[in-house]
This record gives sequence, structure tokens and C-alpha cells, in this order.
Amino acid sequence: MKREAEWEPKLLSFCCRWCSYAGADLAGTSRKKYPANIRIIRVPCSGRVDPLFIIKALQLGFDGVLVSGCYPGDCHYQTGNYYARRRIAITKKFLEYMGVESQRIQASWVSASEGGKFAEVVSEIVKELKEVGPNQLFADEK
Amino acid sequence: MEQKLRQEAKALLEQGRVDYIIGYEKGSLKFTTTPLIIKDKNDVDRLVVNPFIVNNLSVFLTEIRGRIGIVAKGCDSRSIISLIQDNKVSREDVVIIGVPCSGIIDLCKVERLVGEERDELDDVTREGDKVVIVVDGRKREFPIEKVLFDNCLGCKFPTPQEYDVLLGEATSPVSEMTASRARIAELEGMSSQERWNFWKGEFNRCIRCYACRNVCPACFCERCFVEETEPQWVSPIPKWQDNLMFQMTRNIHVAGRCTDCGECERACPMNIPLRSMARKMYEIVEELFSYEAGLDEAAPPLLTAYEAVEAEDLIR
Amino acid sequence: MAGNKKINKRDIGKLLNKWSQGFTVFVPSREDKVTAFAKWDGVNTNFMEWYRNTVISPKTNFFPLMEEMFSFREEEDGYHTELPSSDKHKQLIFGIRPCDAKALSILDMAFKEGYEDPYYLSRRKDSLLVGLGCTNPYDSCFCTSLGGGPFDSTYVDIMLIDIGDELLIEEVTNAGRELVARTAGLEEVTEADKARAKEVKKSSYNKVTKKINTEGIQKKLQACFEDKDFWEKVSTKCLSCGICTFLCPTCYCFDINDDSFKKQGARFRSWDSCAFPIYTRMPMENPRSEKWRRVRQRVCHKYEFFPIDFDVIACVGCGRCIRQCPVNWDITEILNNLPTKA
Repeated sequence: MKREAEWEPKLLSFCCRWCSYAGADLAGTSRKKYPANIRIIRVPCSGRVDPLFIIKALQLGFDGVLVSGCYPGDCHYQTGNYYARRRIAITKKFLEYMGVESQRIQASWVSASEGGKFAEVVSEIVKELKEVGPNQLFADEK
Repeated sequence: MEQKLRQEAKALLEQGRVDYIIGYEKGSLKFTTTPLIIKDKNDVDRLVVNPFIVNNLSVFLTEIRGRIGIVAKGCDSRSIISLIQDNKVSREDVVIIGVPCSGIIDLCKVERLVGEERDELDDVTREGDKVVIVVDGRKREFPIEKVLFDNCLGCKFPTPQEYDVLLGEATSPVSEMTASRARIAELEGMSSQERWNFWKGEFNRCIRCYACRNVCPACFCERCFVEETEPQWVSPIPKWQDNLMFQMTRNIHVAGRCTDCGECERACPMNIPLRSMARKMYEIVEELFSYEAGLDEAAPPLLTAYEAVEAEDLIR
Repeated sequence: MAGNKKINKRDIGKLLNKWSQGFTVFVPSREDKVTAFAKWDGVNTNFMEWYRNTVISPKTNFFPLMEEMFSFREEEDGYHTELPSSDKHKQLIFGIRPCDAKALSILDMAFKEGYEDPYYLSRRKDSLLVGLGCTNPYDSCFCTSLGGGPFDSTYVDIMLIDIGDELLIEEVTNAGRELVARTAGLEEVTEADKARAKEVKKSSYNKVTKKINTEGIQKKLQACFEDKDFWEKVSTKCLSCGICTFLCPTCYCFDINDDSFKKQGARFRSWDSCAFPIYTRMPMENPRSEKWRRVRQRVCHKYEFFPIDFDVIACVGCGRCIRQCPVNWDITEILNNLPTKA
């Protein structure tokens, strides 16, 4: 077991390839600083993200999950992010009711030109996750 | 009501308007009813309608091929509409025989109320807003709310929302929602940690019989995610983690399809309060998107539709 | 075989305390919101007031819902495996019903045939079954049609007969006799007690009203095996869930899966059900992809195939499959209405 002081949250992020992934890229090329706690999985569209992915990530021990896509109206496939929004909204609300801390499920709209926003969003989320503490939800011992 | 149902069913079969009638018949144990699926008009006299017709028969619609006459209570009719919305059932293929429903009697509640198991009761009958239970020859009366299923207590749509024939007069809601969502309210009052521990304990019991899924009309996937092996999302080993993951995902998958018919909880042999998950999801959907399942067959299903602006407060 | 000892019901706690020396005692419990056999807490004996039979059958004490078969880990020098630390306690099941005890004798056959299953058999070995006769069978019980009965003591070590305020103790096996002989403080039975026991047995026997006719059942099932219409008709309302098989005290199908993460894990076996469409799909397709074939399998396995191999019907008439079924699918109705084509 790692000591509490050494613990750093792990944030899994699903980024849409057209906006948020490009935004993350821009954050890097523009030398914006954001925490290294994030692991990014590139998805074709935020609409690709099945709520099951979010739950599975929590089961695997990620401390938080971020789904990030294009702004409403900007989806490369016209409507993918609208569907994503409904799914994420019910997933977030429902998991909160089940007992998952609300900070663990996050969503954002980040466009390809918003390197700065991407860095901010990640920083804020990581800060919140540090406050919530490690994800012990699916751990076996009490 | 029963006579009218039998006449209607007989006529439908005789005129060749349907291939099958799906209804209820007397069950093999005291007070129970059981689904009856018939194609012979001589079998119509087996059909019954009483306060014990628990099953949501629309679960059979995705399995039985042909034109079907189906007996439906309020919640069941909404499940049928929902299936039509999802293109799983075609409206022309079903004849809905609506039963205005003033609540179904939960035998588990009856047992708790009188402290006797169902096979030891002489009689359980409904008389208006009272239930009369006869134990050892002694008559006892209780308000009907004491013995109705939780989901019946707060039912907003006791009269079928869609029907071709309605057996009897439309009815009004049984009582307010408070009693129906008592457990949910209790959970909402707890901390995240307490809630999670509650569900953890409940799903520790789950034996993964999948009755909740199989009894659910909204669970019509030909292959359930829980059975996927490449990748294997959920382990088949019934540990609480995977049991809970299965049920949470199932609830998200049926969001906007669930009509709060309560079948999942009723079917569960391990007494897991599954409706306290399903009902909550129902409320979340209603609150976020002003959507209730199975009210309009022309409406697109919840998760295939959107508004330009909604739920934005949940997104950064 | 009439016993000579008895015990007052209010002394059951003392009795169980004595028996807890040397055994882990299991009693009917509803602590975890569903009735099952659970480790006795050392105090509570109120199960005598509510217990008729448990939803979860005592087969779980010997063939649990899931169990670790071995664990494994990969190291530089290859794979290492390890057997789980065995729970080598001797179980005493207090209050097992005659039907469930008989069911264990059926599981014994299945788990001994061909390959001796160490997991099941090691738990069964040295276990002791203390039966409690049924004075109040359910309306779904049909044990008397299967050679059993509410006081059938064939498969228990000790049989208890509830004669009101007291329990009459019948020693059945040597192990049972030894245990009773070692138990101090039991009272002697009187002639009146014996007469009372006889009465209780008789009236209970008559309370089992559900019946099936097992005469020539194998032949009848053989004859209608290919009758697709019949099987389709009786299976339409089945939902293909696993309730009947999982709660059945004689069903023993299991599935084996690895639970592994990175370079270590464990192999588990857990209950499986022939009612599931995906049953046996891992090596190939399920040969019973249609529902009627699965329903037929469940009926025929119990009443036709198992008797061919072991000369006993693999159903004990406990009625759990009927009582717990969400659509009230009733196996007795099917067996009583088998088509009798010439």
C-alpha cells in the first residue's frame, strides 16, 4: 500500500478526436502546464463513450473519468455530442445516487483551439480528485 | 371484466385478427396468476383478471412472432409503447386489451402484514379500497395501500395509455408517491459512502440468475453486454463488484425505457431492492429531460434524441 | 428406529452450544434478507418459529455459489499455483429438511461419478446432517411423489421430530448415534411421546398435497422427446432465467472462469444454468439454442437421464423452482400432462 502522501489521482479521459484531443495536443504544443495525472484515450466522438466505459474505469481503479468532446453544434458528425450529453448526464446523476462521489465523473466541451481550457479543466479536476481521495469503491476490504 | 376479456379474446382469435392471445390464468399456487399464451379459441375461458396479475406480459412481445392480442395494465401498456418506439414491435401487430388497474397486490406485503405465509391464508380479496384477508377463518380488513406493490402506490398512469379495447372504466391514481419512494428518500439522505456500502451489501447477495434482466421488457438486446467475452466487461464470477457493475449498467441501458413496472424487484429471489435503482433512474430522466417512458409511440426513444440546450450545468 | 431421547425446544441453544465443540453449526437464518443456512451465532434459536424451508438450499454449504479452485501468479521463473487455504471445518447442518438431505445424496453421486470432485467431497466428508421433519410443508412441496416424505430420515444422521414443546431425537447413522451418545442432558422419551410423533408424521404426510405420477415417467419422457409442439407449448412462458436451477438443491452445473489482473489471479468456479442461452457457449455453440430445448433438458435431465445413470430421479420435490419462479412455471404440471401418444 502506498502511503497517503504519495498518492496521486489517476484520471482517465476519453477525448473526441476532432475537438478535445486536438485541444489537448494544442495545450502541449503551446507549452501549457497541466497535471500528469491524466491518461487519454482518443475516441472518434464523445458519442462513442458507452456509460459502461465509465463504470469499468472506476472498477479498474481510476479515481476519476472525464469525457470531453466538441461544443454543442460543433460535432463533426453533427449530433454525436448531443447523444453523449444525455448519456453522461444520466450516468453521472445515477452513479451519484449509487454512492459514487460526483467529482469522479466529469464532462467537458473543449474545442481544438482551446489548449488553455483543456489545461484548466484537467487542473481543476485533478485538484477536486485530490480532495475526494483515492477511489476505494470497488476495493475488496472495507 | 373477465367475461368481457374472454369474449374479446375469442372474437380476436375467431376473426383471425391475432395469432396469439397473451393474458393471465390462475397459477398453480394459492392466489398466484401465471402468463397464458394461447392460440386456440377454446382456451379463452382460462383467462383471468384479478388483483394478482403481476407479470408485465409485454416481455413476450419481442419473442413471440405473429400478431398478438395482449392484456395490459397501465405500466404494461407503456412498456408496449416503448417497444414500439424502439421498433421492436409494430403497432399493427398488436391488439392491446387494456385493463384499468387500481394496483396489484404484493403477497409478500400480505405475509408481513398478517404474519403468515401465503399458502396458510384462506383468502385474500379486494373490496374497493380495502383488502380482506382471511386467516384461520378470521376476517381481517386493511386499507388496500398496505398491500399494493410499491410501484403501484405512486402510479401516475393506472389506465393503459394505449389500447384497442379497454375493459372497464379508466381509473385514477391510487395514492401519492411518498410511500412508493420511501427507500429512495432514505438513501438520498445518506452520505455517498453510506449509499455505496448499502448497495455493496445488497449485491453481495446477488446470484446472477439474470431474472431481473429476463423479466424486463426493456431488456431486449439479443446479446447482453454482460455476456460479451471480447472484451469481457463483466466477469461471470458473481462477486459483488461485477454484480453491481452489471446492474448499474443495465439501469443506464434501460433509462427512458423503464416504466417502473417493478418486475425486476419482484422477480429477484434474493430480495435486492432493484426498484430503488430503477425508480431513481426514472426520476433522473424525468427531471433532466422531462421525459417519461412509453407515453407517446411517435416520440423518439430518450437516448436517440436531444434538445439543443439541456443538462449543460453538468458539463464544464 | 424410534429414538429414545428428546429435548425441550427452549434448550436448543444449549444443545447447539455443545455441538459447536467439534462442528461448525449451521442453522436456518434470515439475517441477510433471504432465508439460507448460516453459521449459528451462538445465541439465536428463533428460527424454530419461522423456519419452513430456506430459499437458498443447503447445497451451498457444500457447493457454494462461487469458490476459488486455485490461485496463480507469474514470476520470472514461470507460473506458480497455489490451492486455497481449505476451510476444513466439519459442518453440522441443523434443521435440514428431508428433501434437501436427499438432494445431497444425489449431488454425492454426481460429484463422485468418473471424477471425484475434491472441493465438494472434502466438505461433505465428516459433515453431519441433523434433519428436522416438516410439520408444515408448503403447498408447493411434492416430496411424497418422489419416494420421500416430510419425515423421511434416510439421508440424515439424526432426525428431529417436533412434537410440540419438545423435539424427539432419532439417531439414524453411526455418526448420529455417537453424537447423541456424547450429548449429555437429553431426556428419555415416553410412550406418549412416541404416539404423538406417530400422529405428527401421519398428519404431515397428508399435508403434502401436490402430486406427480412418476410411474413409467422415463418411458413417457422418452416417447415425447421429439414432440417439439409439446415442449414449445410448455416452455413459452419461461424467461430463461437461472432461478429454478440456482435454487434447485440437486442442480450442479458450474462454469469455470479466471479472475486475473496483471500477472496474478485465481480460478473460480461458479454456478451455471442450462436455462441460459449462453450455456456452454465457450467451447462451441449451445446445442440448445432454442428455449424449448432448454426447458426439455431441465425436465428430462432430472426425470429421464439422471435415472439412467444413477437409478434415482434427480428431483426431490422441494418446490423451490415453483415457488420462486417469476412466471410460476410449474414442473409438476408438465410432468402430469405429458402427451401419451400411441
